[in-house]
Amino acid sequence: MTFGDIKYRLNEFWSEFRKEKSGLIGLGILIVALLVVVFEPLILPWKDANTRWRSIDYWQDNSANAPPAWMNAFTKLKAPVTMRIEDAKKEETELDGGIKLVTYTFDYHYTADKAPLDVILHITGHGDIPFQVAIERPDGATIDLAQRFEQGLSGQDIRLSIDNDGREAAFTFVKNYESQEALEQFSGKSLRTADILFNIAQPGMAKEFKPLKGTYKLIAKAMLLDPQNSDVEEPYIVVTGSISGLLGTDDSKRDLFSGLVAGLKWALLIGFLTSAISVFIGVMYGIVSAYFGGAVDSVMQFVYQIVNSMPVLPVLIVISAIFKPNIYMLILVMVLFFWTGSVMTVRSMALQIKEETYIEAAKALGAKKSRIIFKHMVPILIPYSFASMALSVPSAIVYESSVSLLGLGDATIVTWGQILHDAMQGAAILKGIWWWILPPGLLIAIMGMTFAFLGFSMDKILHPKLKTR
Amino acid sequence: MYKWFVLKRVLKGIFTYIIIIFIMSVLFNTVNEQTMRASIEDQVRAESMRLKNMQPSAIQRYQQQRRDELVHLYRLDRPLLERILFRTWNTITFSFGKSTIIKSSRGDRDVIIIIGEAIPRSLILFTLAAAIEIAVGIILGLKKAQKPGGTLDRTTSLVTMIVYGMPTFWLAMILIMFFVYQLKIFPSAGMHSVPLPQGIMYLVDLLWHMTLPLLTLLLIGFWGVSFVVRNIVLSILQEDYIMAARARGIPEKRVLFGHTLRTAAPPLITISVLSLLASISGAIIFEGIFSWPGLGNLYWIAVQQNDIPVLMGDLAVTVGLYQMGLIMLDLTYGFMDPRIKVGGKA
Repeated sequence: MTFGDIKYRLNEFWSEFRKEKSGLIGLGILIVALLVVVFEPLILPWKDANTRWRSIDYWQDNSANAPPAWMNAFTKLKAPVTMRIEDAKKEETELDGGIKLVTYTFDYHYTADKAPLDVILHITGHGDIPFQVAIERPDGATIDLAQRFEQGLSGQDIRLSIDNDGREAAFTFVKNYESQEALEQFSGKSLRTADILFNIAQPGMAKEFKPLKGTYKLIAKAMLLDPQNSDVEEPYIVVTGSISGLLGTDDSKRDLFSGLVAGLKWALLIGFLTSAISVFIGVMYGIVSAYFGGAVDSVMQFVYQIVNSMPVLPVLIVISAIFKPNIYMLILVMVLFFWTGSVMTVRSMALQIKEETYIEAAKALGAKKSRIIFKHMVPILIPYSFASMALSVPSAIVYESSVSLLGLGDATIVTWGQILHDAMQGAAILKGIWWWILPPGLLIAIMGMTFAFLGFSMDKILHPKLKTR
Repeated sequence: MYKWFVLKRVLKGIFTYIIIIFIMSVLFNTVNEQTMRASIEDQVRAESMRLKNMQPSAIQRYQQQRRDELVHLYRLDRPLLERILFRTWNTITFSFGKSTIIKSSRGDRDVIIIIGEAIPRSLILFTLAAAIEIAVGIILGLKKAQKPGGTLDRTTSLVTMIVYGMPTFWLAMILIMFFVYQLKIFPSAGMHSVPLPQGIMYLVDLLWHMTLPLLTLLLIGFWGVSFVVRNIVLSILQEDYIMAARARGIPEKRVLFGHTLRTAAPPLITISVLSLLASISGAIIFEGIFSWPGLGNLYWIAVQQNDIPVLMGDLAVTVGLYQMGLIMLDLTYGFMDPRIKVGGKA
């Protein structure tokens, strides 16, 4: 089979395939999915979602169980969206005695109707550094939130949360406006810092939240006592809102959109690898079984029947529970069950081809068995298996997600099934956290639909008998 | 010679089952023996607790003696092959031993009792679902085949492809979220209300609990069935005798239900049993979402509690049921289609 042959056959196939509307839709979705996988580093909002999905401190600045950001379009009271601000105005001033004062000013435009949950400052420091954080409100008031002295830093990340570290300062600020009686009903602990800071300063502010909209300035000052040996760099703030990202967060504060994008490549890999390897094995098995016949055929049919009479998922669950396989081992185990799918059709087709005259001619010319099988039988039968290849992709994805749903998935990667497992564990059904349950399953279903579209269209073209119906 | 056909098929099924169990005994041998040794240690410790007024050395001697006895009883001191064969034999004769944590509803710790409780619960759910699936699927399939390429045919075929890769457990989650926690018209989990209603209300209560699991299976199941029914019926409708029947003026209804369905019966039975088997093989864990206390739910509990004997027993029983389904499939097929039992080869 030459390159020209392949090209001709592909052209022929394409001219038929173009007429199948569902097939084209499937192809379109598949191409989009592949593009997402290729451009994953650009699309991922959280760049390390792949490697640090289970790290607690990577996600700590998010809010837990936050609905998607676009939920604001459906609510009357707008909630602030979680955002990260890296733009800072940097000022350096020399003080007496060789001390340098570095000031970073962040602007936050506050327009929501609810207060953010927290504002968190991150900064990387070297050496011994006293820090000071203040906030300047749109009404002109400046509140000194917190001070901290960090010693012996060597590039660690300093994290200052105004909710924790600025609580006392906020309470002092409320005292200016509230009467003593009103204050007695609250202790410093029951107040949320952000509720005070983003509130209009007036009597009754401790009870009721009225947003003071406008531009807030978060001012972070770091004193470099010994400018040669100490330094601060890479400052940024995170404003933690009660809604977050494209698809919200789960109860471990993870951004679900990042998880779903990271899971896509695994779903495709599981589907492709499992179906491609198993269909290849199945085709070879069917051909060998048909070509040699006799005792070989009987033994091979027996093995086939044994594998075929095992229920896949239960066996898969027990194997995963006992051997705790990684993802590639799981794929291998699935291949051990999936190859039977195409054996029977291939075998019956190979039985017909075997009797063709050109096979007889090849035999008469003294062709080896391997040459007849690989040169004359495999090229004819492989295209027919493409349809069953596409149709077995969805079940591979569903089996993996079922195993992951039980908590037996590979813990080094993120898959959609694992997200659903976490959702089950986090009682997302009970709490009605639909953005945690709906998207992963929907994606599994869409992947299944895509390959069903492709598979059924290819089936129609490659098995012309179905076309008349 | 139907009885020879039956005998041959049943023997072959049993033989296949034995081989599968043997493979599994080989595969899971290490884990099984670890669990067994651990349970022997437990037993020895429990027994020596009861001994009083004995020297420590005497207790130790007694423990060692008991341990050796039990190891010998469970043949853990025998060669590997004999151990594996012994386990295979135990599994085939359904002596799975005792569970490590899980108990049956009456407090028994025999694995066979725990699983025996779960079997009817799973069967009633899955067979009922399969029966409804087939009924709806056949009716829809016939309607589709009557007008191939029509609006109904095309839309339902589209839905078939859309639900093709939809995970049952996910649909279950969504249905629970909507019907149980939003509309609050179905119970969230389990099989019965507490306290157990009596008489006719018991049945009503059971059906009420079963509605949502059934709905989940149906919503995904019957599309595929109707698609296959359509293809089978369509190929039969092109046969000459159908044309002859129509030419004789036999009403269309009788052509469809009398002539076509009779010929289509064997493959229809095949797909109905196959769809039942497919849900055992692929969707069984969705029971866990509904806490339906069947075999699928048992996998969840056994995995979570790490109860190896129950897990192994559950697997052996599921494989057995699956095997029985396959045998039933061939037997009914042979009964409906005489060519098979005579020719011997399909």
